[in-house]
Amino acid sequence: MNLKNLRNSALKEILGAKNLEELEKLQIKYLGRKGELTEILRKLKDMAEAQRQKIGKFANQLKWEIEGMVEKKKKELGFLSSVDKEWVDISAPGHKLPKGYLNPRTLVLRKVEEIFQSLGFSVIDSTEMETDYYNFQALNFPKDHPARDMQDTFYLTDEILMRTHTSPNQVRFMEKHNPPLRVIMPGKCFRRDASDATHDSQFYQVEGLMVDKNISVANFKAVIAEFFKRLFGKEVKMRLRPSYFPFTEPSFEPDISCTFCAGSGCKICKDTGWLEMAGAGMVHPFVFKSAGYSPYEWRGFAFGFGLERLVMMKYKINDIRLLNFGDLRFLKQF
Amino acid sequence: MKFSYNWLSEYLEKKLSPSEMVDLLTMHAFEVESMEKFGQDYVLDIKILPNRAHDCMSYIGVAKELAAISGSKFVPPKMNFAEDKKIKAKDFILVEVPAKELCPRYSMRVATEIKMGQSPKWMQERLQACGLRPISNIVDITNYVMLETGQPLHAFDLDKLESAISNFQFPISKQIPNSKSQTKKIIVRRAVDGEEITTIEGKKYKLNQNNLVIADEKVAIGIAGIKGGQGPEIDEKTKIVAIESANFEPTNIRRTSKAFVLRTDASTRFENGLDPELTAMALERCVSLIEEIANGRVAEDLVDIYPNKVKPRKILADVQWMQELIGLPIKAQEMIDILKKFEIFAKILKKEKKTFIEAAVPSSRLDLVAQEDIAEEIARIMGYDKIPATVPSGILIPAVKEDNLIYEDKIKDILVGAGWSEAQNYSFISDEDKKIFKTFKAVEIRNPFSQDQKHLRTTLIINLVKNIKENLKYFDNIRLFEVGHVFSMVDTKPTELNVKIAAVVVNKNTKKPAEGLFELKGLINILTEKLGIDGIWFDDAISGDPPQYWLTFTHPLRRAIVRTDKMAFGGVGEINQTILDALGIKEQISFFELNLPDLVGLATEERAYRPPSKYPAIIRDLAISVEQTTKIESVLNIIETAGGELLQDTDIFDIYEGLAGNKKSLAFRLIYQSDERNLTDEEVNKLQEKIIKAIEEEGWEVRR
Repeated sequence: MNLKNLRNSALKEILGAKNLEELEKLQIKYLGRKGELTEILRKLKDMAEAQRQKIGKFANQLKWEIEGMVEKKKKELGFLSSVDKEWVDISAPGHKLPKGYLNPRTLVLRKVEEIFQSLGFSVIDSTEMETDYYNFQALNFPKDHPARDMQDTFYLTDEILMRTHTSPNQVRFMEKHNPPLRVIMPGKCFRRDASDATHDSQFYQVEGLMVDKNISVANFKAVIAEFFKRLFGKEVKMRLRPSYFPFTEPSFEPDISCTFCAGSGCKICKDTGWLEMAGAGMVHPFVFKSAGYSPYEWRGFAFGFGLERLVMMKYKINDIRLLNFGDLRFLKQF
Repeated sequence: MKFSYNWLSEYLEKKLSPSEMVDLLTMHAFEVESMEKFGQDYVLDIKILPNRAHDCMSYIGVAKELAAISGSKFVPPKMNFAEDKKIKAKDFILVEVPAKELCPRYSMRVATEIKMGQSPKWMQERLQACGLRPISNIVDITNYVMLETGQPLHAFDLDKLESAISNFQFPISKQIPNSKSQTKKIIVRRAVDGEEITTIEGKKYKLNQNNLVIADEKVAIGIAGIKGGQGPEIDEKTKIVAIESANFEPTNIRRTSKAFVLRTDASTRFENGLDPELTAMALERCVSLIEEIANGRVAEDLVDIYPNKVKPRKILADVQWMQELIGLPIKAQEMIDILKKFEIFAKILKKEKKTFIEAAVPSSRLDLVAQEDIAEEIARIMGYDKIPATVPSGILIPAVKEDNLIYEDKIKDILVGAGWSEAQNYSFISDEDKKIFKTFKAVEIRNPFSQDQKHLRTTLIINLVKNIKENLKYFDNIRLFEVGHVFSMVDTKPTELNVKIAAVVVNKNTKKPAEGLFELKGLINILTEKLGIDGIWFDDAISGDPPQYWLTFTHPLRRAIVRTDKMAFGGVGEINQTILDALGIKEQISFFELNLPDLVGLATEERAYRPPSKYPAIIRDLAISVEQTTKIESVLNIIETAGGELLQDTDIFDIYEGLAGNKKSLAFRLIYQSDERNLTDEEVNKLQEKIIKAIEEEGWEVRR
């Protein structure tokens, strides 16, 4: 056997080995007990001295060379097979980690609070149980006044009730703080009403109050327009309609151009093109008097709007009652 | 109130289209809730609010508004009739008003030779457009005039009024054929306690002295201002009518109407207060229609008990103040011109360098009493769209949010981050809830609207547990929380308690016992840690003053009070089996409920930062075998006490239950560290020996 040919075929075959098994077979083929190179090395002792030295040297070199080559190839193939083991299907879905969701009302309230805070209004906490005095009398609803029919009330005793609006906090706040002031007071309110898709026995109101020496209807228009603009992220058309609340004079209601039909008239705006958003007005001197202010020394505006209306508009929710349950099928969408 | 477009148009010199009418009313006076076609007419549903109910629950009132807004002229209804000088009203009827505090004015007119029958078609149509049922010409006329003027009227059949002297024949009756007439008496008095009346519809009411009645000399014939009684009602044979047009004290009418749950078109108007001047005018309109439609002969004069005539009112309004309130420099003369449209006649008055408007207000405008009311009239007639939007000037006060609300937000975010979703439930619970959860101190609503909403919730848990029941239909793992107000009777007073934070958890198919409970303990740890609250622990003894539900609806062996050394501020536990059975829930529910203000108080306490030690820590492990029922906390206490200051932390890293002899093995990692120096192995070994000794003294075995 020609050693040169042996070397060529051995190196070629080893380099071409596709896996460790093949490589092992080749190792046996050349270096095994009956391997081709081993055979040559075994025959050396029968050779003449000169030939033995020449061939022996070359054959031993070849042996090392093949061994080195096998080792090298082994590492290479070994790495590839370990890559094989570490392969993952990156397209498999991610793990399901625990997920929690805020109530949509909380999401919208936070936005509302953020806007008013940026306009200089502080956010004030309040209670849900009220006295007849703060809920009505201090706000110019005397006992037995027909205006009380505008707000059907859950009574707990003759004098204690569930607040029907957040307005009692106007007087409560002013009793404790001196003007000038800008505050919003969000909270849950209750009305003894039949519930339907747009009315429920409990709902959230956001009360707003701004009092200073020289506050006007014009100021209210600017503040509320800015609020709507930031809330809806665009300029919205607004109008003020006269209304009546015992604790504001003049009283009015801001409407905005219907966001569903852009003012052309639809089911939601009852074909008027307008959506009623709030009740508002200039603080009645009677209310300043209730709070212990000098009635004509200060002026202010007050407003109250229903939070649910905004939530329902934002998320296209068609029934207010969905907001008063803990249904995860509903909550998981926010 | 429903208004016929055609009828309203009759009072306006310049006609408006139906949609113009709607727009003008909406933008300057009243919201129009709907407009519907009604035959050849339109019906407008106009929302008259309580401040204008006294004058605008009437065609004349709304027409006057429309005239003022549109700049048209108001055309008053026809009032001509001929009094028959031969017969005098006072010969037919005498009025006595002993209850004068409840009846500022009582007026009557009499018409004879009435021809009963149907009212004309046009009148019937108009009544129907307004939702009233035609009855007979006389009754329809009284209703028609009430709608037109706002003054409720009532017609009596004079012959049917009872008198005290029954056989006395008054001479005048001879002149009137087919009549047994004589002078009758109407008495406006308080009812006698226990007196009864049966209304025209046949309903009986038991009266008391707080109720005002109209009576003849024998019995009550009407509940004043609310409903007529059986007896002198109009029928097809009626010949002589006496028409009542009165003014009653509004509060008394409202109370009686509420007490009897009896609201009528009349009571609604009276309870809002009416102008006493209105009675005579309404009577004139009424008899003119009786003459025209029912052939009546109108007796001369009206019988009128009106002891205190209303005086004209004047309002002094500061011009500059009004300009600044509205935010527009309207000239004084312009203001006067606007007011004139409302028949408010005003003049300019200078006083102490200030300009005022002195406005003479018509008696019909009971709502106008002060300058802010005058300002409103000016603003709304001009239109709020004329007012510019002006950014308020003034010092900018930094806006803050109250601590409770900031922490509420923070807590919600922490709980959501940990996988809980926010429920917002009704604040109400039902009778059944109250029974099942034994929340005996729940505040009862005196006038509930539905059975589901009879009491106020004493805890957030009740509705959260009910949420779980619903959600179990769709989900295996449920994690909900709520932040909200709860209520309870305290002594005998309904009271709003601290705001609560509650969380619940259910995991279907869990294998370990009380898994949910430990999940919630973990959640409390996350919550308090993120709020920066130290020193929280769970006490399985009933400490502090736990809420009453604690004892009734928790599993007695699976509950703990959540507290610091100073105070208890909530509880964690499992709902007990009795309640689960009552609600038909098969899964184990765990919950916690904490006081928000307490958490806020603890979170806002001052906390000093402690730098990490510069010196290395030395760590030793310790395995101890104890009885199955020995509390981990007890073991920890022994270790920490013996370890002293240099033992900085003790973690439990393994619990193995199932050693021979009903024992368990607890593995602790003890971390020794000083802030001041390197510790030596020697001193740590000493401490470790001290701990081991303390443990062995307890009879526990240290596994070496």
